[in-house]
Amino acid sequence: MTALIELQDIAKYYGNIVALEGVTTEVRAGEVTCVLGDNGAGKSTFIKILAGVHQHDAGTMKIEGEEARFDSPREALNRGIAAVYQDLAMVPLMSVWRNFFLGAEPMKGVWPFRWIDTARAKRIAKEEMARMGIDIRDTEQPVGTLSGGERQSVAIARAVYFGAKVLILDEPTSALGVKQSGVVLKYILAARDQGLGVIFITHNPHHAYPVGDRFMILNRGKSMGNFPKEEISRDELVRMMAGGAELDQLTHELESGGARSD
Amino acid sequence: MLGSHIDEVVQAGTGKRISMSVTSEPESEEVDSEATPEPSAPDERLTYRGVFQRLFIRPEIGALIGAGAIWAFFWAVTLNFGNAGGILPVFAVASTLGIMAVAVSVLMIGGEFDLSSGAATGAFGIVTILLVKDIGELGGAGLSLWVAIPLSLVVALSVGWINGTVVERTGLPSFIVTLATFFVLRGFKLGFSKLAIDNITVGTIDEAEGRGYEFWQKIFASTWVRNDHSWESRDAVYTILVLGGIALVVAAVYELAFARREKMNLAGLPVLMAGLALVVGGILYMHNSDGVSANTVAGIIIGAGIIVAAFGLAWWRYQPQAPGSFAFSPLVLTRTLIGVGLVAVATVLAVVVDMESQRSVLDLAGPFTWPVVVLAGALGVYALPRMGSLAAVFRPALGNLTALFSSDSVLLRYGSAFVGAAALAYGFMFMATEQGLRAIVFAVAAVVGLMVLATAIYQARSAKGARLLVQTVTAAAVVALAFFIRWQSTSVKFRSELFSVLLVVGVLLFTWGLVSAFFAQRRFADRRSDRLGSLLAVVGIVAAIAGLAVKLLFTTEAELAANIPRAQFRVEFLWFIIFTAAITFMLEKTRFGSWVYAVGGNKQAARQVGVPAARTKTQLFMIVSAAAWLVGLLLAFRLNTLQSGTGNGLEFEYIIAAVVGGTLLTGGYGSAFGASIGALIMAMSVQGIPAARWNSDWRFAFLGAILLTAVIANNYIRTKAEALR
Repeated sequence: MTALIELQDIAKYYGNIVALEGVTTEVRAGEVTCVLGDNGAGKSTFIKILAGVHQHDAGTMKIEGEEARFDSPREALNRGIAAVYQDLAMVPLMSVWRNFFLGAEPMKGVWPFRWIDTARAKRIAKEEMARMGIDIRDTEQPVGTLSGGERQSVAIARAVYFGAKVLILDEPTSALGVKQSGVVLKYILAARDQGLGVIFITHNPHHAYPVGDRFMILNRGKSMGNFPKEEISRDELVRMMAGGAELDQLTHELESGGARSD
Repeated sequence: MLGSHIDEVVQAGTGKRISMSVTSEPESEEVDSEATPEPSAPDERLTYRGVFQRLFIRPEIGALIGAGAIWAFFWAVTLNFGNAGGILPVFAVASTLGIMAVAVSVLMIGGEFDLSSGAATGAFGIVTILLVKDIGELGGAGLSLWVAIPLSLVVALSVGWINGTVVERTGLPSFIVTLATFFVLRGFKLGFSKLAIDNITVGTIDEAEGRGYEFWQKIFASTWVRNDHSWESRDAVYTILVLGGIALVVAAVYELAFARREKMNLAGLPVLMAGLALVVGGILYMHNSDGVSANTVAGIIIGAGIIVAAFGLAWWRYQPQAPGSFAFSPLVLTRTLIGVGLVAVATVLAVVVDMESQRSVLDLAGPFTWPVVVLAGALGVYALPRMGSLAAVFRPALGNLTALFSSDSVLLRYGSAFVGAAALAYGFMFMATEQGLRAIVFAVAAVVGLMVLATAIYQARSAKGARLLVQTVTAAAVVALAFFIRWQSTSVKFRSELFSVLLVVGVLLFTWGLVSAFFAQRRFADRRSDRLGSLLAVVGIVAAIAGLAVKLLFTTEAELAANIPRAQFRVEFLWFIIFTAAITFMLEKTRFGSWVYAVGGNKQAARQVGVPAARTKTQLFMIVSAAAWLVGLLLAFRLNTLQSGTGNGLEFEYIIAAVVGGTLLTGGYGSAFGASIGALIMAMSVQGIPAARWNSDWRFAFLGAILLTAVIANNYIRTKAEALR
């Protein structure tokens, strides 16, 4: 089986700034690929290339075995790659079902008298959310009244329903509390079990390790490696992410600093 | 440390593939949901929202209540606000204002403003006139109206397109871009008028006679003169439609509020029939007899009939429950006493104060008036920003007076607010006669008393018996007020119209209390009941409105003999209704409408899911300019000629109407229907102020006050509504 997405030595330059270089990884159906990196590591650039916002300057991107290059987010969406951004995903004052179908509302009636099939839209929204394990109280509820985790879940369910093959999640847990994060991680697994390839971008290795099948670590625009789960332990992951030796140094400094203030 | 904590949570569902627990079987639930009610084991988080709660989460509810209150106010203080001669001019003013307000509200929901919308109305009218004017020395293009009307629509749409495109391409705020358009249009209007005929009026549209004027005049400027249409059975039709409509709405409220029986109890049906028969009998008796005593007897029969019918309906359809305890909580008891006390105080005051006196309460020339007004203003400016929310003002004032003095800052805040309010009241009183003050005090005390009673009913909602008692007391207070007003008042409308309305309200209140004490309220969603209930409500409201329309559009021989003033209905109002309905449908039911809310609420998100944001916004600007074109034509045909200044400066009135109607200034929330109600409110103020014989120079101050009140009220209601969800 070919990978849904295969990236080989992808690079992106903004003028003379190297935003991303030598990034290699792959995304397979029914697997979660975690992209880890600290702030400024190049995670956003990475997503934007996949989602069609930016184009890569070097390397190859293969979608289902064919080389591809996206000129717009629409094009990426048409190829089944859906990005869920942390806070830009929803219109807070609109109801859940309207958000769910925004841009692709189911219609009925004969042209030019066509209107939204409200009943069907509400029913499908509820069903699809239930399939993800989310029991929404009332699809008429404005999204603004949902919690952060629920909001992410609406976005994920929407992407799944509209036939996404690859789901890119940008820091879905970073603004959430402990419990909420756990809920979102469950949705990630639910999406994976439905046969999607998931790209989970995070700076938290503790969130990434339990759900990921493959890990790619970015540091200062460079890939620090691309590991299947069997080849890396949680502690190694944490160490690599924070830059290994740098963290040791920091720990040392903090501990000695703490001792002094005592 | 934090990491390991998160870890534990994650560990709970980790490692291997966890199986997702799907909470319900979606397919099976949905497929047979037609046949069976909603799932019998409801989600514990889902508390059923009652009829009134659901009403309150609509954005236009504040405007509707406000429109009712303002109408009632002007009905009370003017001579003719209750009849066709007073209402039809309000409709005429509301029509052109409302069409624009609706269009502007849609644009505002989409997150933009159009400051050129006012000037545009005049501009497109002028364009049409110039296009049809005879060719001559000072002439126009001499075209047929069949060409000129589509041509001016093209001009209008291009102006809208330019507005939208410039806003989208440059990314500048629409405020600035359309301000520029406003000045450009204003300059063009004046320039072209002067160029064409060296005058600020551009000539007349009836120069197009023989070139389509006859036809289009009918479309845009037909009038229906009420006095030319008399219809003898008008009052019978009116009564049947309005009373039938009210009955249907009451039935709808019952259907939505009470839980259905598993199996209907047919014993209730004859009771319902008997009640309805009593009502009809009472009405017929009243109709066929004269004299006050007969009216009273008929009133009692009708009231009894309503109670019996309502109880019969409930007995037939809804689940009974044991009436609850009569245990009063202290809060309920205090509030009931305060409410009854206020109503009593109102009546006593009204009797004590001499009603014939025309004496001023305070002397206008008094040396303290102006200093006090200035002081009030200063204190108001100091206190207002410090008061937080409305609730924060009233809670300590009603609940715990000592809290006012517990700390310096609180004392300072509320103290200065209080002194400010008192001084303002003093400032206003120099205008009031003793008689006027009496009316105001009576009205305010009675209304506040009833409101306190309403909160007592709400507080007692869990103890059925107590609630029935409080509701009975409230109904009795309403009925007592009705009789008191009839006794004290000299004006016919207070003695007859207000009296009957209050009686009906009192009876409905009592029956509502009675039925809800003995029958079970619905606690779960039930699709059948919802469907039937909303159908009944819609039919009832339409019937009642049709009844009112019949009364407004037709007259009777008796009225003509009494020499009623001439009143006419303009087709503009029909345009207003059609436009509002079309735009509301578009907003709520079409894809474009959804996109409008989306681009106003979060443009980035909308764009990300594939909504063409720029195109949507440009189309919104084009809708506004198309509305301006329609209004321009309506004005041109109504006035026959337009001045170059027509419409300038009205754009803010459109925005006010939209905001009063519940549209959010920041976009993403609002309703077109609300904006149309906002326009009605403004039209009522514009017409009501001179009708009440106030100095109409002050109407803008009144509009300002309405705007502020409306925004505060809408904001408050929206917060409450969010909490209810």
